[in-house]
Amino acid sequence: MKSCTDILSLLALSLAFALTGCTPSVPTTFEEATTPPPVTPNNFDATLPPNIAPLNFRILQGDASEAVTRLHSKQGGEIIVAGWDVCFDEDEWHHLLDQTRGDSLYCDIYLKAYGTWEHLPPQRFYVAEDEIDPYITYRLIRPSYVTYEELTINERCLENFDERVVYENMRFADSQQGQCINCHMPRAWNSDAQSQFHVRQNLGGTVLINGNSATKVNLKTDSTLSAGVYPAWHPTLPLIAYSVNETGQVFHTLDPQKIEVIDYASDLILYDVQTNTVQSIDRTASDFESFPAWSPDGGTLYYIAAHYTPRADNLDADLDANYDQLRYNIYARDFDLTTRRFGARRLVFDAESLGKSASVPRVSPDGQYLLFTLADYGQFHIWHKSADLQILSLNPTPSPVGEKSNPSTDSPTPSKETSAGSQSPLPHVTRTGSEALNSTSSESYHAWSSTGRWILFSSRRDDGNYTRLYISYFDRDGRAHHPFRLPQRTADADDLMLRSYNAAEFLVQPVQATPHTLSRAIKADARPASYAGSALLHPEADTTRARQLTPPAERRSASVGY
Amino acid sequence: MNVRLPVKLKKRSSIETMKQRLPFTLAFVAFALYLLLGPLRPYLVETAALTPFYADEFTLGKLFGTHCGLLFQVAAAFQSCFARPWLGGCLFVAVLVAIAYVQRWAFRVSDSWFGICWLSSFALLLNFTQLGYLIYTLKHPAVAFAPALGFLAAFALIGLWFRLKVWWWKLAFLLLTPIIGFWLLGFFGALVAPFAGFCEIGIARFKQFDEPSSVGKRSLRRPFLGKETPRMLWGLALFFLGLLLPSLLQLALHRHLDWQAGHIPFDSLPREMRLPWILAVCVPLFYAVFRLDGKRRWMTAVSAIVFIVAGAASYHYSFLDNNFLCTLRMKHAAEDSKWEQILQMAKDGQQEPTRAQVCLTRLALFKTGRMGDELFVYPEGAAEYNAPQQNQWLRLMIGPLLYYHYGKTGFAYRWAMEDLVEYGERPAYLRYLHSVARLNGEEALAQRYERTLARTLFYKPTASLWGPGYCTHEAAEAEAIRPLLNYTDQLDGDNGLVEFYLLHSFALSEGGSREMVELSLMDGLITKDLTGFWPRFLALLPTWQGHIPTHYQEAALMVAQLQGGAPVSDLPIDPAISQHFQRLVEASSRMGDNAANATILRPEFGNTYWYYYFFVEGLKTK
Repeated sequence: MKSCTDILSLLALSLAFALTGCTPSVPTTFEEATTPPPVTPNNFDATLPPNIAPLNFRILQGDASEAVTRLHSKQGGEIIVAGWDVCFDEDEWHHLLDQTRGDSLYCDIYLKAYGTWEHLPPQRFYVAEDEIDPYITYRLIRPSYVTYEELTINERCLENFDERVVYENMRFADSQQGQCINCHMPRAWNSDAQSQFHVRQNLGGTVLINGNSATKVNLKTDSTLSAGVYPAWHPTLPLIAYSVNETGQVFHTLDPQKIEVIDYASDLILYDVQTNTVQSIDRTASDFESFPAWSPDGGTLYYIAAHYTPRADNLDADLDANYDQLRYNIYARDFDLTTRRFGARRLVFDAESLGKSASVPRVSPDGQYLLFTLADYGQFHIWHKSADLQILSLNPTPSPVGEKSNPSTDSPTPSKETSAGSQSPLPHVTRTGSEALNSTSSESYHAWSSTGRWILFSSRRDDGNYTRLYISYFDRDGRAHHPFRLPQRTADADDLMLRSYNAAEFLVQPVQATPHTLSRAIKADARPASYAGSALLHPEADTTRARQLTPPAERRSASVGY
Repeated sequence: MNVRLPVKLKKRSSIETMKQRLPFTLAFVAFALYLLLGPLRPYLVETAALTPFYADEFTLGKLFGTHCGLLFQVAAAFQSCFARPWLGGCLFVAVLVAIAYVQRWAFRVSDSWFGICWLSSFALLLNFTQLGYLIYTLKHPAVAFAPALGFLAAFALIGLWFRLKVWWWKLAFLLLTPIIGFWLLGFFGALVAPFAGFCEIGIARFKQFDEPSSVGKRSLRRPFLGKETPRMLWGLALFFLGLLLPSLLQLALHRHLDWQAGHIPFDSLPREMRLPWILAVCVPLFYAVFRLDGKRRWMTAVSAIVFIVAGAASYHYSFLDNNFLCTLRMKHAAEDSKWEQILQMAKDGQQEPTRAQVCLTRLALFKTGRMGDELFVYPEGAAEYNAPQQNQWLRLMIGPLLYYHYGKTGFAYRWAMEDLVEYGERPAYLRYLHSVARLNGEEALAQRYERTLARTLFYKPTASLWGPGYCTHEAAEAEAIRPLLNYTDQLDGDNGLVEFYLLHSFALSEGGSREMVELSLMDGLITKDLTGFWPRFLALLPTWQGHIPTHYQEAALMVAQLQGGAPVSDLPIDPAISQHFQRLVEASSRMGDNAANATILRPEFGNTYWYYYFFVEGLKTK
């Protein structure tokens, strides 16, 4: 009995010793240093959601031999981590963030070099009151051109590091029949478990997910250019607006931008999920329309369009030669929810007059702001280093950014209106609201969270080539805050992965359909949609003329993601 | 005597065992090392560059986190050692030797029949050495080591099964190996349990023949089946099924990709399979018959014959195509900037070169500044690649290399990336992604690739396969390319036709650096497009400082004769070349048709541009 007690005591002592021995402590004596901490990824100064997963990072060693990091708040909570890989305990992290809602979180890094501890300048995060949607979905793809293998549509929980594959393209692909998957777009942040994605080439079609069931439809009709491409779910009705595109890829011989994705033709269609019918919205030979987006009330459809006047008979060669002259503006059409008819087109943002080209318009959930990408030309801005995110106030009164923005010095000239345009006051770009989002590299595809307080966007700021996801807080004054990179379990996870994040969207709940359900739907024949004419209120009064469809074989075509 | 005999026999047996095993082992090691480190040395180096292995936490996660992860990752690690051919070659041979010994142990093969245990090793060696060009398009992460290590593990597990004495251990084995084995070793692990089970059933059934009541059956059994025969049969069945499945899979893949029968040595695959199958049937029979006779000498003789036949078949069916191996040697020399070596190899070539070899020779001539004097001296040719789908091999083997060295960085990056997407994160592609990023000034991107390469075993950018002074080497390489970047970017496409695109993009270009103008001039000559000859020639004339390179003199005389356009008499043309040209004009006027002229004039004019212009046709450069 005595020996048993001795053993237990010994074990308890050992455990206590191990625990105390392993707990790092902050050095008591140190010198103050002036150089900022060399960490990667550097997310300091970002505003964080209180429910985000730990923002782990790595301290670059340099001459130092030891490192201690202390994360703490004014409320007294702290986490201390020793070593170069600063990986926070998830529970401790969440507890600390919860304590610090609406306040600052401080990060002190101590490095020991040549026997002396140095305290690097203190860094901080801001913790917002507003939580972020717990999930995101995206596609992982290599930044490639024509070939595609091992594409996955993934779902990631933002509150931790759990990631799962919703669907991967190698399931039905072989050496002869490749399969491209893209555009996983939820309806209303997946609040009703509905979403869609496209499958191209082998067993192609558009997969509509509803709860744990899925069906595949073929949106290509004889009267439309192609199957649906860039989708926009209507917020309340069972409708999806799509662009239909004939897209090609051409390669730069020298420019590090590497590739230009060109639409050789594009239109807009409206798909009725219930009746499986397709209606045309905009189909003009002289204009290329793309990237539709609904307003939150479903009463307006925003999209981009570029006017194109052919300079030569060979349209493809002409566009290849003049690709940098093609500029897209943002337009809108009002939509009557009762009659399901679109009104006349009106210009919302005249990018062309600025010598710029807009793409991917997305309206904030409160309907106040239009977030889009602006670059020098074209519409596939992920390959354009000039691409930046811009915020357009849709409020007819001057932007509430007020004191914090300076539209007069930085905003473009007011937009002109089309002949069919509305008489509403002119919107203007609140550039100061978006400046924290941008870098010298391309910022592209973006999404609003369901609350409108968070913006998820793609950026190539890290190396100019591999797209990573960044998240920014968008405050009630219409100002985007310093963003942070999608948290990863280890600091070098992004560095190890030679793939890009693509077309990310927020989700309020996980996708319910299993890969097995999706596989079954994809294996089945696609239900062909039928064409049901124009969705315009006055199609005959439309100033645009109907497109003469070119046989697909005569065009180059390629399936690309954005 | 009766008491001492077993002791004496035991001692003698041990020595004899060594004597019987050692010759087979030494013969196999010598043969395999010769094959791998001799003719196939460049193939080993290339295989390593095409093997994606990175020592990082992703790989660690894959070890047990993905199906067959352990086998693939360990095999890829071993295979990447081919970058040091001695190391990788010895490792591979060691694994193959281990397979023979483990097989012997697992199936309790007697020393007299030890020779047949090498069948597996020969077949696995051949499985790798027969691939040739296919190594570029196989998406298997470790085509040499994965089957070898898979079989080694499978045989070891079977041996373990035979030595399990307690029934519940056997039950646990049967239950666990399909799950754990399949997860760690793929189908190699999954097959172990069923085969072990079958072995057990087989042995039990054969044991029934020993019952006194089954005298008739026993007499039937004895002439053919020894005590271990069932195990032996199952073992061989496991091996051949294992070999057959991937081979048939490969065959199906070839067929699926329209590999043409009678076109390539790969179509010998079915024939290869016939031999093992015949052996699979014959050997156990021989085994049974001769074992009962107890004539060890005969058994060993048969065993040795099997061994020799297997070795000969392995050598015969290995892909030892001269053009393929020469292209690989040239490619590796180009990666090390050893241009003179390439030229020497081109000169030493005994057969018509492929376009890949011609392209590498031209690149070497351009890099050494001898293009104008010697380009048409080197052998021209368009020998078919000893593989189907002719158009893809040049691009797959040297596409990014050529584009990079000729300054077409967009296409170098493009094809390296396309291939990386298609075939995996191979160091061979990352090398060009890294170099192009650095040349483009994309420093952050270059550093990302550098960090990725640093996680390889042998392609670390600072102390790499490409030499210990890689950074210096890369910088020098980049400096040589920079003058070729002096052109206006445009959107373009090459349809994967690397040589065609390079020749025509330079032949049709205008202006640029001195190097670019010279390439324009030469590529115009190669494509026989003489429209821009004089402007380019005259622009380069001052840079030649009195000595116009021979081929340009030849071309000037010929173009002046054909088109006029420049006072040749004012040019410093070597009188010997002028006289040579006159002899050609006179000889041509005397002779008949073009084909006859080509043969007759070749000895005297075969090394001139004139001969190339008039008589060399069908190179698909136009």
